[in-house]
Amino acid sequence: MTNSIGEIRDAEFLFVIGSNTSEAHPIIAMEMKRAVKAGATMVVADPRSIWMTSISEKHLQLRPGTDVWLLNAMANVIVTEGLVDQEFIDENTEDWEKVRESVLRYTPEEAEKVTGISADDIRWTARKYATTEKAGIYYTLGITEHSHGTDNVYCLANLVLMTGHLGKPSSGMNPLRGQNNVQGANDAGATPVFLPGYQRVDDPEVHARYEKSWGVELSPVPGLNLNEMMKTVGDDIKGLFIMGEDIIISEPNVTKLEKGMNNLDFVVTQEPFHNETTRYADVIFPAAVFAEKEGTFTNSERRVQRVRKGVEPPGEARADWEIVQALANACGAGWNYTNTADVYDELARDADKFAGISHERLETEMHEGKTGIQWPCPDPEHPGTEYLHENGILRGKGLFVPVEYRPSMELEDEDYGLLLSTGRTLYHYNAATQTRREQGLHMKQSDAFVEIHPRDARKRGVSHGDMVRVSTRRGDVECRAIVSRQVRPGCIWMPLHFGEARANVLTNDAGDPITGTAEYKVCAAEIVKVADRSETKSGELFPGSYYQIEGPGYNVAEAPYGALKVAEEALRQPLSPDKPET
Amino acid sequence: MSEDRRHEIQELLEKAGGLVPGAARQVAQQTGIPEADVYGVGSFYHLLARPDAKIRVCTGLSCRMAGADDVLRAAELNDLPVEGCTCLAGCDVAPAVLRDRRVLPSVTVEDVHEAKGEWENLRSAANADDEVWFGAVGPERDDPDTLVLNLMGDPDWSGTAFRRAVEIGADAVVEAIETAGLQGRGGAGFPAHIKWNGTRNQAETTRYVVLNADEGEPGTFKDREVMLRRPDRVLEGLAIAAHAIGATEVYLYLRGEFEVPWTVIEDGIERFAAAGVFGDIKFHLHAGHGAYICGEETALLEALEGKRGMPRLKPPFPVEKGLWGKPTLIHNVETIACVPAIVDRGGDWFKALGRDEAGTKLYCISGDVGRPGTYELPLGVTLDELVEAAGGYVGELKAFSPGGASSGFLPASMREVPLAFRSLGGVGSMLGSAGVVVLNSDADLRDAVMTQLRFFEAESCGQCAPCRIGTRYLAHALSKNIANDTTSGAALQHVADAAWQMNEGSICGLGQAAPLPLTLALEHFPEEFEA
Amino acid sequence: MSDKSTIKLNGREYDFAPGETVLDVAARHDIYIPTLCHDPRLDAVGACRTCLVEIDGWRRLAPACATQLEPGMEIASENERIDRHRQTLLSLYMTDHPTDPAAAEPGAPNELHAMASHYEAPMDWGYMESLRDARPDDRNPYVLFEPDLCILCARCTRYCDEIEGVNAITLAGRASETTISTVDKLSLMDTSCELCGGCIDVCPTGAMGKKMPLVRGDKPERELDKVRTTCNFCGVGCQLDLNVDRDARDGQGRIVKVTSPPVGTTTNDGNLCVKGRFAYDFVHHEDRITTPLIRGEDGELHPASWDEALQAAASGLLAVKDKHGKDSLGFVSSSRCTMEENFLVQKMSRAVFGTNNVHQCAAT
Repeated sequence: MTNSIGEIRDAEFLFVIGSNTSEAHPIIAMEMKRAVKAGATMVVADPRSIWMTSISEKHLQLRPGTDVWLLNAMANVIVTEGLVDQEFIDENTEDWEKVRESVLRYTPEEAEKVTGISADDIRWTARKYATTEKAGIYYTLGITEHSHGTDNVYCLANLVLMTGHLGKPSSGMNPLRGQNNVQGANDAGATPVFLPGYQRVDDPEVHARYEKSWGVELSPVPGLNLNEMMKTVGDDIKGLFIMGEDIIISEPNVTKLEKGMNNLDFVVTQEPFHNETTRYADVIFPAAVFAEKEGTFTNSERRVQRVRKGVEPPGEARADWEIVQALANACGAGWNYTNTADVYDELARDADKFAGISHERLETEMHEGKTGIQWPCPDPEHPGTEYLHENGILRGKGLFVPVEYRPSMELEDEDYGLLLSTGRTLYHYNAATQTRREQGLHMKQSDAFVEIHPRDARKRGVSHGDMVRVSTRRGDVECRAIVSRQVRPGCIWMPLHFGEARANVLTNDAGDPITGTAEYKVCAAEIVKVADRSETKSGELFPGSYYQIEGPGYNVAEAPYGALKVAEEALRQPLSPDKPET
Repeated sequence: MSEDRRHEIQELLEKAGGLVPGAARQVAQQTGIPEADVYGVGSFYHLLARPDAKIRVCTGLSCRMAGADDVLRAAELNDLPVEGCTCLAGCDVAPAVLRDRRVLPSVTVEDVHEAKGEWENLRSAANADDEVWFGAVGPERDDPDTLVLNLMGDPDWSGTAFRRAVEIGADAVVEAIETAGLQGRGGAGFPAHIKWNGTRNQAETTRYVVLNADEGEPGTFKDREVMLRRPDRVLEGLAIAAHAIGATEVYLYLRGEFEVPWTVIEDGIERFAAAGVFGDIKFHLHAGHGAYICGEETALLEALEGKRGMPRLKPPFPVEKGLWGKPTLIHNVETIACVPAIVDRGGDWFKALGRDEAGTKLYCISGDVGRPGTYELPLGVTLDELVEAAGGYVGELKAFSPGGASSGFLPASMREVPLAFRSLGGVGSMLGSAGVVVLNSDADLRDAVMTQLRFFEAESCGQCAPCRIGTRYLAHALSKNIANDTTSGAALQHVADAAWQMNEGSICGLGQAAPLPLTLALEHFPEEFEA
Repeated sequence: MSDKSTIKLNGREYDFAPGETVLDVAARHDIYIPTLCHDPRLDAVGACRTCLVEIDGWRRLAPACATQLEPGMEIASENERIDRHRQTLLSLYMTDHPTDPAAAEPGAPNELHAMASHYEAPMDWGYMESLRDARPDDRNPYVLFEPDLCILCARCTRYCDEIEGVNAITLAGRASETTISTVDKLSLMDTSCELCGGCIDVCPTGAMGKKMPLVRGDKPERELDKVRTTCNFCGVGCQLDLNVDRDARDGQGRIVKVTSPPVGTTTNDGNLCVKGRFAYDFVHHEDRITTPLIRGEDGELHPASWDEALQAAASGLLAVKDKHGKDSLGFVSSSRCTMEENFLVQKMSRAVFGTNNVHQCAAT
């Protein structure tokens, strides 16, 4: 995020795209709700009706994968109606002309044909965004998990730059991080290209500095990203070390990956629980969970915050950092970190962005009522950085990048007539190793499901709660159908959380050419009914979900879920009983 | 989330048959208002919250004095879907009974038996044809020269006063109101012109006029009579007010039990509209659904907006932030009905009609008198004068309640105190809505006090603790249900402290005034409360 | 009236900013004014009446939480009238509230009790049974509404409306029967409730309680250690307090519950979601792996000592490197683990095994 979570409540216009905020980032959603309550306008662009659309001024329900058309058409309106911030562009950016020209052919009328959003709504949104001072863009995996994810991000950046919505409070470009420490893991250098602090491994100065600091020879060649690694598991990759990640659940096109896993020489994992991936492990180390260890997480707004140990891990389980150190030493490293504060100090020593941060300082400041420090924070006196680019763009000039629309890799066809998207729900988290062990969450969503529009369900003879088989070119899974108007006709949606119906058996591992991120959000799929509704694991049939209560076009009489039994029964009776009950 | 249709919640719930299971969810669908919200609103209003009760027997003081308890018991024994209720604005036709949303006058135990267990069949022998009925009024003459409301006069649909108001202009109209010394007749006695000016002088130009016809103070029924007999005066007064403050939208909030007055007002609106008298001024009728507190002006505004009728904090006052946050002039029926005559005949004329204070006043009188009814007399008459007009005392005067339940009880020795705002305020009571109830020597004063305390306990909106808990506490204390300290002295002190707290701590007038029946009775009739 | 934006509170002059209330200025200067229905995140409603203060020229006492300051106001938050007000109000509250603090949920401190004893409010006014409806059949696993303890401050319903925005609960009924309800008294499971537990967190008396104490221990909150940490679910980075029973699990400690840090102190501003507040069963779950495991010749996993497992892992990985080259190894780090752990994994990959094949699931 260029800006901070605390600034959201003061925003005047929020453009939320590809983010099911109230489910994936409930607390950020609360800030957005607060802004809307205070009078801000929100526009949600999403193929699904989500909770946030219930408070948005407009819901741009675009066809999956057509974001580039939508965003370029918005840019087109901003350009053709003279709404650009020319002064900001002149002072802070490069290559404006390229984008200005490239968006001219993306007219709202043409965009309407591709995206399904009316030209009027595109115009209205573009004008409102461009002319509102405190206007922020909020997005997450709905933007990035496409074969053109990077294109989507460039389009958003173009909008931000052409309207000068950068370096000001409550504006900017705000990817909401999915995992608790995505930011921190990247910051710490757990990436094939960067050493800690986004210093390239192939930069000779960086390379030399780290060789000196660590006293060993380092490879100057960028490594494989996760998507690439997974594609070559069993071929080029012969051994894996995996810490705290269930790749069999979370990576796309799992059937292929599982074949590769069987061809590995050696697999080491560190996990608190057995999961799909530990089935392939040769050695498993019992790992502590967050409540059992010390360290830091860095959140979406670049805020480094402490993780503190509350309880002892069970049995012989140890914190991951201790395990990694012991393993490195078993391989001859000779490390000697006595605690995580030592580790952080070493990290900060060689990476300027974090140089002013230490466990000690975080501890002191907590007692002063502060909560963490936002990097960049180059020295111990520096207060941290609330929003980026306050005095012009951080690294030189902001670069405009013209983007042309490329369709998603796989679209619906005769054999697979539906478009499948995947995502998260409020009640589970990732592979759900933690959340499925929690009673209440289990009651809310005990079983895997797929959402399907009533029209598509009718065509296929599928009723609410039926068991269905969802198939794509890569595999199939069985789960329950939720018949819901939350999805567009022609689209289906599945959560990724359930091991017994792994959405990633279905998803396409075709990746974005730059980031390697797979296209989790669009692929062709089909559904057939396999069995009638039966008892779920919790005995509950997805009770009380918001979309079932007030989805667009929703009608009580057609209400698809068990929780509405009371209302359904009531409706069968005349509403004005002639005789009172006795 | 659009709030645009929130104000329809109560009406839609009524159509759905009240708060039966599923109804709130259905109305939520129709309005886009969250279902819990709809449920919370519906549950606030007794006529919606208890859809099973089709018959409601008024258990207010005057009705109980006239045998309401027996009627209620008879109805229960006949298996009618019945419950007691707190007030039906029919003390002059006690006991009053509500059938669905229609008030039946003077219902007897025999009437109940006649219904033979079918609530739809309940009729009052006093009104066997189930037609529109009127209460008694006085003086029984058409006299526009000395009577402001002139209840016996024929309705006048000519719009003369409105045209005159337009002619002389808003400033002159408000000046006339000021000269007249017109005070709010809903209970507070607040000078009307201050409200008019307060609304007119706001920078915000969207303004509203609201009619408070949620008459629910036990002892009071004058507004019912004004609407039935002089709907012309009510509507013309509203139109003049709207014109004077620069409003075009007028909202009329009638209590839900006023089914008949509603149709009369509706007809009146049509008549004026057909004649095109009031230009672009539009009238919107809204029904209450059973909540005394909505007579409090800000609670009424909340109800109009489709919320639970819980009074707002003041300031800001409605003249500044009223309906939907806009400047709002809100008046009681009688107050607004005085306006046409004032505009017609001038403020001095009105003022001179009063005795202690300005104008005539509609006094409601019920209880132990010969001819209960609504009497228009100079503001400031004594009890004896009023009772004389109302057919004289029945039995020997023991106590009287000068202005509705909130005014408490005064002893016979205070019969000379002018029935006016200032003078009654001076003796720790109030004129309120001038609902006078007379109790003769047969009356059980302790029981009468209890009736009033139960009334407030039932009608507290429940928002603030002093009122919600205090009204119940006092009723419990009086019935000695409270496990109190051993000495009665301590118990009395607790009552005094609770009363003090209710007056100091309550948000609105209900809780502030609710202790009066008990505290005044303890002061004037200590012997009635000895163990 | 002075022209500067100042007021006098208890005889001393203070500056204020437009829109500030009496309570805002008092709080800034550590002048205690009691409140029960106030929450800085919510619109002021002035309903609990505990914060009433006296303002010169005003006939009636005014709620400090909802009264906006005007230049020149002279305000008293301490005097005889206000003392009597607080005492009698709290005495009245206690006629409608269990006097036994143990009746409250184990844990949550009862603000009403604390306030009543702070002001020495007489407690001998008697007690009236509550008329507030409960929803005893609500099968939701977390939120327990105990109507006896409810003082109808409406923090919970307003939180549910104004902050969480799901409007699952409402004030229902009227007068002494006013209670907290859902639509048609349904279980929270069957409403728009998202089980965030905010109602529990904002409740000043424990009327909105947690259903779980039987599972996770029943020590009162004051006997638990609060450990401030960062939530391990999404990327918002909510701060939360693990409430730990140090004696449980033979001194290893048990998480009894999770509470929010005070409003205004952290990024999450006192808010948590269903996962952050409730999803902790996994920590002490019986499925946890508790010893190192090595896959044997038989293809099964067998418990092993740390030394054995470390040796096995080291030699296994080194063997792959020796046989297929350093870039035949892949290191999957984790965005769920700490910054420090990620640092060590990438350092191990690069410095110990010589490969840049290190990444984690980091799609954003």
